[in-house]
Amino acid sequence: MAHLAHYRQAHPLPFVITHWINLICILVLIFTGFYIHFPYFSGFMGVARGLHLGLGYLLVINCAVRIILSLFIKSAPTAGSREVDRDIKSFLPQKDNRHQFGAWIKYYLFIKKEHPLGAKYGVPQKLAYAAIPFLILLVAFTGLCLYAPTSVVGPFAAFNGLVGGVMVTRIIHYCIMWVFIIFIALHAYLATIEGLAPAKMMFGWKEHGGLVYSPETHTIIGEDDLDGKDH
Amino acid sequence: MARIETQAVEFDALLKTRGVTRRRFLEFCGAVTVSLGLSEALAPKVAEAIEENVIGKAKGKLAPVLWLELASCTGCTESFAQVETPDVATVVLELISLNYAETLSAGAGYSLELAKKQTMEEAAGEYIVIIEGALMEGWEGNALRIANEKAVDIIREVSANAKAIVCAGSCAVDGGWQAAVPNPGGATGIEPFLKREKAAGRFTYEVDPTVDIPPIINVPTCPSNPEHLVAVLVDVLLVGKLPELDSHNKPTLMFGEYIHDNCPRRGHFENGEFVRQFGSEEERKGYCLYALGCKGPQTKNNCPIVRWNRRVSWCVEAGAPCIGCASADPTKAGFNWVDLNTPFFNRVKNLKIGDIILQPATLAAGIGGIAAIALIAHGFGMKATGRTKGGADFESERKWDAKHPDKAIATAPAAQAAKSTQEAEAAEEADEQTEGGDQ
Amino acid sequence: MAKENPATPEDTQSDSAVKPDGEGAAAVGDSDAASGAAATSAELPEAPEPVSGEAPAVVLKRPSGVSIIDPVNRIEGHLRIDMEVENGKVANVWASGGLFRGMELVLEKRKSTDAPYISQRICGVCPVSHAHASSMAAEKSYGIEIPSTARIIRNIVEGAQFLHSHILWFYNLAALDYVNPLNALTADIADTVALANAAGTTQADFANLKNRLQAFADNGQLSLFSGHWFNTADVGAEGGKNAYQLPAELDLIATAHYLEALEMQALSSEISGIIGGKMPHIMTSIPGGTTFVPTEEKLDDLLFRAQKLAAWVTNTMIPDTLAIAPFYMDVFGYGDNAANYIAWGVFDEPGFDPDKRYLPGGVWSMNETSRYKLDGSSKYKTVQSANEALITETTVHSFYEADDITHRNPSRDGITRPLYYNEAMVTDEERRSGKKPFDRYTWDKAARYDKLPFEAGGLSRLLVAYNRGIPEIVKGIDGVLTALGVPGRVELLNSTMGRTGARNIETQYVANKMVEWVGELIEAIKGGDTTTFKEAENRTGEGFGMWEAPRGALYHYMSLKDDIIDRYQIIIPSTWNISPRDDSDVHGPMEQSLLDVPVEDMEQPIHALRTVHSFDPCVACAVHITEPATGKKFSTVTNPWGVK
Repeated sequence: MAHLAHYRQAHPLPFVITHWINLICILVLIFTGFYIHFPYFSGFMGVARGLHLGLGYLLVINCAVRIILSLFIKSAPTAGSREVDRDIKSFLPQKDNRHQFGAWIKYYLFIKKEHPLGAKYGVPQKLAYAAIPFLILLVAFTGLCLYAPTSVVGPFAAFNGLVGGVMVTRIIHYCIMWVFIIFIALHAYLATIEGLAPAKMMFGWKEHGGLVYSPETHTIIGEDDLDGKDH
Repeated sequence: MARIETQAVEFDALLKTRGVTRRRFLEFCGAVTVSLGLSEALAPKVAEAIEENVIGKAKGKLAPVLWLELASCTGCTESFAQVETPDVATVVLELISLNYAETLSAGAGYSLELAKKQTMEEAAGEYIVIIEGALMEGWEGNALRIANEKAVDIIREVSANAKAIVCAGSCAVDGGWQAAVPNPGGATGIEPFLKREKAAGRFTYEVDPTVDIPPIINVPTCPSNPEHLVAVLVDVLLVGKLPELDSHNKPTLMFGEYIHDNCPRRGHFENGEFVRQFGSEEERKGYCLYALGCKGPQTKNNCPIVRWNRRVSWCVEAGAPCIGCASADPTKAGFNWVDLNTPFFNRVKNLKIGDIILQPATLAAGIGGIAAIALIAHGFGMKATGRTKGGADFESERKWDAKHPDKAIATAPAAQAAKSTQEAEAAEEADEQTEGGDQ
Repeated sequence: MAKENPATPEDTQSDSAVKPDGEGAAAVGDSDAASGAAATSAELPEAPEPVSGEAPAVVLKRPSGVSIIDPVNRIEGHLRIDMEVENGKVANVWASGGLFRGMELVLEKRKSTDAPYISQRICGVCPVSHAHASSMAAEKSYGIEIPSTARIIRNIVEGAQFLHSHILWFYNLAALDYVNPLNALTADIADTVALANAAGTTQADFANLKNRLQAFADNGQLSLFSGHWFNTADVGAEGGKNAYQLPAELDLIATAHYLEALEMQALSSEISGIIGGKMPHIMTSIPGGTTFVPTEEKLDDLLFRAQKLAAWVTNTMIPDTLAIAPFYMDVFGYGDNAANYIAWGVFDEPGFDPDKRYLPGGVWSMNETSRYKLDGSSKYKTVQSANEALITETTVHSFYEADDITHRNPSRDGITRPLYYNEAMVTDEERRSGKKPFDRYTWDKAARYDKLPFEAGGLSRLLVAYNRGIPEIVKGIDGVLTALGVPGRVELLNSTMGRTGARNIETQYVANKMVEWVGELIEAIKGGDTTTFKEAENRTGEGFGMWEAPRGALYHYMSLKDDIIDRYQIIIPSTWNISPRDDSDVHGPMEQSLLDVPVEDMEQPIHALRTVHSFDPCVACAVHITEPATGKKFSTVTNPWGVK
């Protein structure tokens, strides 16, 4: 029992919801995207395209909502603590992250045995999460380059012209999807390999006891078994 | 071996020895020949013009046109001959004065070249140039020589005084299939060539020195659709202005929409009814050819509307997936329709990485597979190191803090931070091992 | 020309009597042989304007020097002919393909199913044949045979291309060597109608056409007649005889049919369009069969077009040929060569045997009747089956690097290194042995069969079919020779006119067969035989497709590794015909044919042009290369012809 306590303050309810929306959108987009890329079975193209387009827009809107909310809603920027700050801080460099990149990589590669101390998100994790909005924007942009009605509109047409045509844009769009797939695989793996507590929090908003971390001292200061008593 | 005998027989004598007769002719036209001499009185006016000028009058009601064939298959000329309305004879007799066209001209050799020269001199700034085929720059332009001149020189010369240039077919636009990897003869399109020449200071547009190159109308497709070509000519000649062009100088009316969007089989696409194999029941039902690599969704052309061969059919109607032959990009090299669309029966083109040619899906699946294997292997590592049950124990102090006590991130001493002795011991052990591992 | 009316078939009784035109006309009514125009040696060099009045008494000097046709017009591709003329005859000749594109290189590393699509872009006139030869090469590599219904469909689309090509070639390309549309302005309409009746050819709205031509002439711009050769003086013609010998009325008929032929070639291409999606460059013939689905709706579209074409060929094209030919009997007098003929055969029958195709494959020679004797030809006196192993290409006179194997068989060792050749690149050793830069003068390679030059094309196909006893062909050739008054004289076909006329006999044959094939297709569909495609299991191997383009024997070879093209080779008809000299300095068929051709006007060598056109060369196709392999060395030169 070495992980930090998972408090709801780390993931306020609106973000649990946006996470759910992200999950559904991306999974369905990948599935329908594969189908549009090549129709492996019959009878689904119209639905696939409708879903792909609709959920594509939803994903972008959700992404925007998530970013805007992060400016207003407060969450705990460190795990194992109920102290909250503006959520955006969770995605920006924090003092807790300093000099920990190497430690994380070493930890993942089994060179370092101990779990690095840090904020809610470790350094590589934070980098990956921060890249996601850009990735969503890029995939949406290339998607609109491919979508016939928008493909003739200025910037989309210009992009198609720049890369050498819709065929090339399609390949770029397809490759970005694979970045998402690999991200999801990695994300799901890392979030669950050390236990299901983080997943339970993210999907079921279920708290879980563990070590307590102090955002002031940047150290572990105790343990909380969620029996109502803080150490 | 070789020729042992080359008798210099007088051919007329030979003819006689062969017993050739004109009997047949006399059988059928004997009755009317008597009157033939009469027509001499009506000497046509053209005869006068011919004496001074091989092109007749340089200017008249017909627009002077030079049709240059470069590295071509003559398919665009052939295609032009298949036009529905107006027919090709009307075009060359009543619409344009086609003073130079290798495949159609009555003249040949020196006199044909003279026709080109006279048109360029006497109708400077007035003539329209139609170019068919790619320009070859290989061997310093020697890959294509016409009339003892390199084609690159001809194009430079002819373009300088042209009213407009119509690039007929994908080859003239960007080199076409000849420019496909490895582009053995150095094929390029007319527009990119002239732009490069202008940039290098080797070309001036005499008609209007304020612009870089003459007005260019790119009419890709392999071959050029005759209805497109004639429509462009009519636009230029009758309306008196260039058709509306997109950023690639292609007429937007013809190249503004994807084939897919006007395809009669689009309904089958939306319904998810696909031909997955030639010769199948689905093929017989006329289902969508998307799964067989149809390039209609990414090729802009109005083929489904304008159709081919006097509008009798077009590729998809005949059961063939579009191969994207109208893809042509005059703004950059390497995006000719062959490289962009092969393999034709695959949904997406091949990627070329060095000498390796593969489909994006293969590449992606490869990388995805490697990632999956890495994760599984990592999972075993996690299991082996006992991290799967809640993860490894936390470090009691950041390594940075330990090495830089003066700039430490944690404000409380590490020793105090670890409340339980058990944890402190574990942390010490871990630190030692890590350091050992580092050395 | 226009001013003169050369049409008159002059004196027919006497051999050499020379009369001015008007009198010549009066003499008509008699019959018999003498080749009027060509029957005298008196002539006017370089005299575009005819001398009227009495015939010149003096024999003028015949031209000598260099005559060049560049570009050769009304053909596919870029061809240059250099001729050394001595005393009014071609003494030496070089035919040069001026364009290098590199089709085989583009095909390598692509999929076998891409090859028919890309390779047919070699030629916009005969794309269907390339698609078929390429597909056949792939099918051989896979080890499959196409379904019978696909075979019929391929025959129909191939046939449609043959009709298109031959009609277009005869009326719209070759005809302008014989017909002067400007002269038609002087035609009398009533006489034209009467002449068309006499000739048994179809009528047209001659008056309207004449008005159109008059309006065209009044405008004064010459359009596609710019730089025409209509004023060219004829060899041996007394009194400035013009090379264009038709009466104005026949010129008008031919011009009307020139326009009609434009319609007909388009109608023929409509058949290709219906089956192939579009023409040029059809889309449906792929390895394994065809993607065209023959529905009832399409069947009638095919049938009635085929019928219309067959009727037109019978009622217009053949009578026109027989009407025009007698005015140009002199054209039977030149353009002969060594008379070796190859055909790989075209239009498969149900058994897929090349020797039994509707136009069968075979190798045949009548070299013994030729002035150009070639050792080794005699074994082909009786028609032999084609053997791929005997096909070779040699490049000693082409722009390719010197080769360790002089005769390369395309499937066995077809590897070539392109090299633009110039004087500076002649080695000292070569120079000592007298080699000149001009020894390499074309991008075309020299194709040989059994190390001998062979002519490919309509004439070759017809002669092979004639010797294999195809009844319609035997009847056609015998009939035409009889109609021209030279029954049984097959050797006369070894001439510019023979080659030209042979194509029209073939057109008739193919047009009739087309109707039969559409009928065969309808029967197959009725019988439920709707399979048009066979999927391949194996896609590794090698194979060649030997087929015929309208211009002659066509060969595609591919070797495949897992469906990826490893090596590709193409030998097309004009590689045989416009071939340069080989390692033994033997000319290719067209060069042979050009030797001794009379040249009157050095700038407008009309007889040479007619001879070149009789081969219907397809130069873009002919020039191609294979893998440069290693040691690729591309060099440049300023002017390869500079020394000449």
